[in-house]
Amino acid sequence: MYKILEKKEIAMRNTWYKIHAPHVAKKVKPGQFVIVRAFKNGERIPLTPVMWDPEEGWIVLIVFTRGKTTARMAAELKEGGEILNIAGPLGNPAEMEKFGKILAIGAYTGIVEVYPIAKAWQELGNKVTTLHVTFEPMVVLKDELERAVGRHLLETVPIDMTKSFPENMKNVTKRLTEKVRELLEKEEWDLVFMVGPTGDQKAVFEVVKEFGVPMKADLHPIMVDGTGMCGACRVTVGGEVKFACIDGPEFDAYKVHWDELIARSGYYTDMEQRAMQEYMRLMQQAAQGGE
Amino acid sequence: MAVKRKIIKERVPTPERPAEERIKSFVEVNLGYTFELAVKEAERCLQCPYNYAPCIKGCPVHIDIPGFISKLVQYRDDPDKAVKEALSVIWACNSLPATTGRVCPQEDQCEMNCVMGKVGDKINIGKLERFVADYAREKGIDEELLFEMVPKIEKKGQKVAIIGAGPAGLTAAGELAKLGYDVTIYEALHEAGGVLMYGIPEFRLPKSIVESEIDKLKKLGVKILTDHIVGRTVTIEELLEEYDAVFIGSGAGTPRLINAPGINLNGIYTANEFLTRVNLMKAYLFPEYDTPVKVGKRVVVIGAGNTAMDAARSARRFGAEVIIAYRRGPEDVSARVEEVEHAKEEGIKFEFFVNPVEFIGDGKGNLKAVKFEKMKALDERDSRGKRKIVGTGEYVTIEADTVIIAIGKHPNRLIVNTPGLKVERGRIVVDENLMTSIPGVFAGGDAIRGEATVILAMGDGRLAAKAIHEYLTKKRESKNA
Repeated sequence: MYKILEKKEIAMRNTWYKIHAPHVAKKVKPGQFVIVRAFKNGERIPLTPVMWDPEEGWIVLIVFTRGKTTARMAAELKEGGEILNIAGPLGNPAEMEKFGKILAIGAYTGIVEVYPIAKAWQELGNKVTTLHVTFEPMVVLKDELERAVGRHLLETVPIDMTKSFPENMKNVTKRLTEKVRELLEKEEWDLVFMVGPTGDQKAVFEVVKEFGVPMKADLHPIMVDGTGMCGACRVTVGGEVKFACIDGPEFDAYKVHWDELIARSGYYTDMEQRAMQEYMRLMQQAAQGGE
Repeated sequence: MAVKRKIIKERVPTPERPAEERIKSFVEVNLGYTFELAVKEAERCLQCPYNYAPCIKGCPVHIDIPGFISKLVQYRDDPDKAVKEALSVIWACNSLPATTGRVCPQEDQCEMNCVMGKVGDKINIGKLERFVADYAREKGIDEELLFEMVPKIEKKGQKVAIIGAGPAGLTAAGELAKLGYDVTIYEALHEAGGVLMYGIPEFRLPKSIVESEIDKLKKLGVKILTDHIVGRTVTIEELLEEYDAVFIGSGAGTPRLINAPGINLNGIYTANEFLTRVNLMKAYLFPEYDTPVKVGKRVVVIGAGNTAMDAARSARRFGAEVIIAYRRGPEDVSARVEEVEHAKEEGIKFEFFVNPVEFIGDGKGNLKAVKFEKMKALDERDSRGKRKIVGTGEYVTIEADTVIIAIGKHPNRLIVNTPGLKVERGRIVVDENLMTSIPGVFAGGDAIRGEATVILAMGDGRLAAKAIHEYLTKKRESKNA
């Protein structure tokens, strides 16, 4: 059991949790993740520590509400309460080298994972520019990034309530790729790094490829155990089957089989929607019963 | 004067739930003996002397089988006493009898050499062991025994770290705790039990039983740290700074895949993933439990070991039509006879001499069919005694929307990558005392064997505990000298 020291909503659909997890805080390095199981009947979900303190034994997670499990976490977990399981750290730490001038991109909540890596790269002597592209009310870590890296760029897209969510997401992708293109045209880069939805990672890669700049991407395939035991997170990289949890999560974007990864990531979408609808129905019932 | 025994040739059967009922749920298939039935079966035992008894020799942990069976008959008028006496005989060698009574391949071990087999049915040792454990648990007799045992344990003042809370680790932990060592288990998953929790389905081994066996170890003083991944959260070198000895029982955690086109199509599961979703995460209770699993209308399970049977029978319980496809013939099926019988009763079909060569997609990333090459067996045998097989050049395509690959596992790479740890073909190398190339670090179970059975892993756990005890005794003595 891991105590929730702080919990707050820091942006629309983004919840900040500061949690007592000394075994992770002591060991975690930028690029690594944890697997969280919040409830007895909950899923095991991979999340990334954003900040941590090895002496005080805490980690910070910023969780984006995207399905039943994360919605339940936002609704049911309380400050002072507990999270059942936090396993980790998992995955390999990000490569810490002097690459030179780096463009580190985070789409939506992807910026949360970019933050510790970008900060460490900057501290190592790299010239780091971070780019966060998201919906206007979902901006996170703006001040922290401005302090941590050489230059932080923020591109926001308003939510158009007359349009569907997928339509709105297309606008983010459009702004993302346009901005990346602009930056690659104007400046010389040694490395591009990207975290975000797989579709957006691929879209950015298509642009980067034209300029021939090296690119790394942190991948987020579906995961269950996170220790190399189940093989759910397998992805084809350079023609070989890799497990993102123990071989990754960082891979050379030029070698990733993007279309396969996108197809695999969407395998449970229909069931996730069903679980969410069922959860909403129960919440409504509970709300009505309470009146 | 020796009493003349009446030989009863037929085994007293254990009741089972009918196939048509059980394919609709994950409730346990075998219902086990009542005390009366257990005594009837126990009476059939010829009571071979301890030094001779072939059943004991066949048991990897050497349980005094005639010894525990005789207690059931001896105290037949007092069931509670009978079970308590029998359980203390079993516990001398085996801390997890409710588990082994259910999942051991008894027909290849204790029961294989049973003398009764020469004149009739072999004694149903597994089900008797299970009966003793179940009855003791239900009546609180195991608690009573623990209560008597724990205060008598003399503390040694030395600490042992165990990696992995599976059968090997749990057994080693139990034995070492009984000897008075301070034992801590490091477990990567959120629950202890290893393969007993994630791999073996509820209908064969109810999870509440595993949990209660683990609770008993905790009462013996064993500490379990879940969510701790050795190799990431803590390294073996760090463990050696804090503990006097380390035992690696990390199992065969990494699934083997088939090197064929389309292996990453949606709908293709490794048995590990499929069984973890179903057993550990209880996906059969989705959406009450959050973890999903997709079982199509037609499921093909590749492989024919116990894991394949477990996966096939689990898929069947989701209403699927299930085919087990195996590249060899029926004589080489490695699953237990009982499991194969259960699978057949539940309507699972078998296709032999077919080897998958391609997974065919629907163009949208989802599996549609599997292309197999037909195989044939030669007279020549391989090193494991199995007939060699070759491709015929003929192919057959089987439609399937789900494939479960159950062709074995490799030891987990996170552990194997420890500096100084000697590893051959992915397996940790040990000496006859199960000590690895790092002094004070021992290993057993699938981490050294590749892939075996629960009881072999437990046998290693027991052997390692003995070796660790000797190692730590020397360490203690040299310190005191």
